[in-house]
Amino acid sequence: MDFYRAYRAYNLSLAQSVPGPEAPAAARNSGGVYPRLAVYMGGGSSHSWLWFTQLFERLGLHDLTFLDQDGIISGGLAGCHGLAISGGDTFGMAESLGPAGAQALERFIREGGLYLGSCAGAYLFLHSSKKSLDLFNWVPAKITNLSSRLPQARELPDKLCTPYGCSYVYHPVREAVQLAGCGREPWSGAAEFEAPLYGGPAMIASDDTQVLARYEGFTSRTRYLVEPDLAAETLLNKAAVLRADMGKGVCYLFGPHFEHPQYAQANQLLADAMYWDLPAQSHEAAPLTAFERVAARAKRAWLGDLKREVSNVRVVALGLESHPARWLIGRKVYEPAKLRVFAEAVWQRLRKLERVPRLVLPETAVELVAKWKAVTFCVRLLYRDLHRGNDTQCVAEELFPELNLASARFMEVYFNNLLEEPNQGRRACSVA
Amino acid sequence: MEYLSSDKVAVIDLASGEVSEDELSEDLVAQRIGGAGVTAALYEQHKDGDPIVLGAGLLTGTLTPASSLAVMTAKSPLTGTVVHAPLTQYMGQELKYSGFDYIVIRGAAPEPSFLWIHDGIADMEPAGDLWGKDVWSAVQAVRQQMGDELIQVLGAGPAAEKGSNLAQVMVNQWASGDRFGLGKLMAAKNVKLIAVRGMGLLEIAEDDDFVTRCLEILGQVKSGAWAGRQGQGDLGAALGFDDYAAWLEPLVHRSHSSFNTPFAYNTFLFLDDDPSLLEESAQSEPGVLLGDPAAAGVLRAMGLAAADAAAVIKACAKAGLDAVAAAKVCQAQGKTAAAEIQAALEGIDGTVVGLSGPFSDWAPQGLASDAASWKRRMAVAYIFGIDPIFALMAPEISEEGLVELAALGTGLEITQDSLDAVVADLCG
Repeated sequence: MDFYRAYRAYNLSLAQSVPGPEAPAAARNSGGVYPRLAVYMGGGSSHSWLWFTQLFERLGLHDLTFLDQDGIISGGLAGCHGLAISGGDTFGMAESLGPAGAQALERFIREGGLYLGSCAGAYLFLHSSKKSLDLFNWVPAKITNLSSRLPQARELPDKLCTPYGCSYVYHPVREAVQLAGCGREPWSGAAEFEAPLYGGPAMIASDDTQVLARYEGFTSRTRYLVEPDLAAETLLNKAAVLRADMGKGVCYLFGPHFEHPQYAQANQLLADAMYWDLPAQSHEAAPLTAFERVAARAKRAWLGDLKREVSNVRVVALGLESHPARWLIGRKVYEPAKLRVFAEAVWQRLRKLERVPRLVLPETAVELVAKWKAVTFCVRLLYRDLHRGNDTQCVAEELFPELNLASARFMEVYFNNLLEEPNQGRRACSVA
Repeated sequence: MEYLSSDKVAVIDLASGEVSEDELSEDLVAQRIGGAGVTAALYEQHKDGDPIVLGAGLLTGTLTPASSLAVMTAKSPLTGTVVHAPLTQYMGQELKYSGFDYIVIRGAAPEPSFLWIHDGIADMEPAGDLWGKDVWSAVQAVRQQMGDELIQVLGAGPAAEKGSNLAQVMVNQWASGDRFGLGKLMAAKNVKLIAVRGMGLLEIAEDDDFVTRCLEILGQVKSGAWAGRQGQGDLGAALGFDDYAAWLEPLVHRSHSSFNTPFAYNTFLFLDDDPSLLEESAQSEPGVLLGDPAAAGVLRAMGLAAADAAAVIKACAKAGLDAVAAAKVCQAQGKTAAAEIQAALEGIDGTVVGLSGPFSDWAPQGLASDAASWKRRMAVAYIFGIDPIFALMAPEISEEGLVELAALGTGLEITQDSLDAVVADLCG
């Protein structure tokens, strides 16, 4: 049995409170909790929160909530055991969350919450003197991919760097890199493995922070954005993954995207890490949200309306996939291919929802259709303006956050339908 | 229907705007196989609604060589009989992956509309702003509106809107194999366009064996009689058009194939730019796609220069006219000069003579040994979804091979006997 299935079987038995298979090794001390997890999709986040979502789903973890900065500030972490923040624009995240968001995050973790941060989600917790970032100075580590002189780009110049005051955070390579475990729990058995790097940090940690994995080498799939010698000097033997205590909670900072769906070994290590440090209970009860079971006819109508709009977005996204347009939104470069990542993630799950006999829908279900209709309008406008040679920056700045939000609101509905009794959030059914 | 199928038939009632969905039953497929076999059955089932039935062949959009065909089945306004118009280029595969196996369009819309078929959704959209536009403008407009250049469009042009018997249903900007005035029927139903985008996936029952067999057939086709030939010039030569290739040659820009069709028998002619140009033309409309072997042949026989003939074909494509029929009507009226023909196209109408049987003579009978074998070959092509012209060019795509692929692809018991029964029914 592969590890996804092992975790899935274990988690679904927990969710349904029925006897199940033995816990995977890393989960043996986790207290048998079926966790509620928060995924950050707010300001500054790009599309990679969908990778965490996919991983959690593959592990049978359906009690998910998708939070933007307002959700975090207004208490959305209540009832959650863990929070995942993936890639994007670190400055954008810090500015969006602001002091109130930082305070909510800090309280959540110090009271026992688990933090999983990859790429931008890792940078966010590192020490910084920059405004907004300095609200999140919780893990004492330095990054090695920082320079006052910008290296020359070998390729993909728009992916090379992010300005950082008078310096630059540069990204020496992209795609798969070789990593090696450092022999520490929960990864004492991890030897060499691969994970994809898309701008994440290489780190030097202080003594009170554990290094779980280091950058070990490059692979045939590694793309060098700078000269190989500089890439090696910047990355190799530097920390790729850190584990740090924070109050009663724990933070994991992943330079590479361990949650990427095409890297099973990295996925397993992330799952093992998560279960190693999951709190036995959350620090507050989860808020109840009103959901209603709908009849077959209403289900068909709602799904049909939503499918229409998601498909319309999907059509345009596929047509634009290889378009050379680029947009700098915040400090992150977006390309048209990202549109399809969102559309496909929702589309595939819509197909699964069709097989659920009776849907549970929130009162805001109609608004979700309207939101996707607005995305359709926006993405078609983007298409027309691109083909007319018009400036599309404003449309893109409106579209990506709208698409992000529409996708997240859909995921809420989707995962609530995987939970058989949504308001209790502890019983799960499977439509896989 | 589990394999080679989306398992859905859309039934669109144009009058009410309602769309219902039926499952595609395995029994129907086992009995009627696919393509025209099924569209004919659905036509009978819905004939009280004077339907247009659209569908792909059973093997359309697969690795089967030349599996590019979609079929439009309806009662021809010209013959009053049920006919099957062949639709090639990329329409077949887009339809196959659109989430519907077949689309039944009943009745007439109360106002100008277009249909938007995508991901198993059939939407009826207003087309007031498209009505009156020429085919090229309308295709461009709907692609702009929906946001994708890959959308395949069946269209009715201004000729259809005016009720001309010569109105053809067009595939994108170009001519189709419709010789039956189905463009006129579309417009009579107030349907300006049917736009299709296919992004679905199909399952194959015995996938490894299916692919292996497809590759074997492809290998045989590529070492067959048409190996190394391409374009309308070579097709014309095979049909006995003397010096046809040389006549076209000064205008030839490139050859162009339909989906998965091993030899590119269509030819793109440049009229308003240098045919030797390798980079993309700066002209918005540099030329015309020649895919109908008879069109240029008729105009050439009337004494037109290739450039003049191509200009007439381009004008017909924009107006949504069958260029062959338009040329013959002009000839009958004694208009044989290029300028006279061009001037006559606006508002042209007339009687089309010589139409018989349910299949289009767009696939030239001259490529078959006799009329009976041509008719049978057409029926087989329309059932399985093989480009009809290519079906005549490539005997390597045998009935036996297609039956075998159908069985491997669907897991159903489809035999030569089943095929014979459907062919007999279609051929009358």
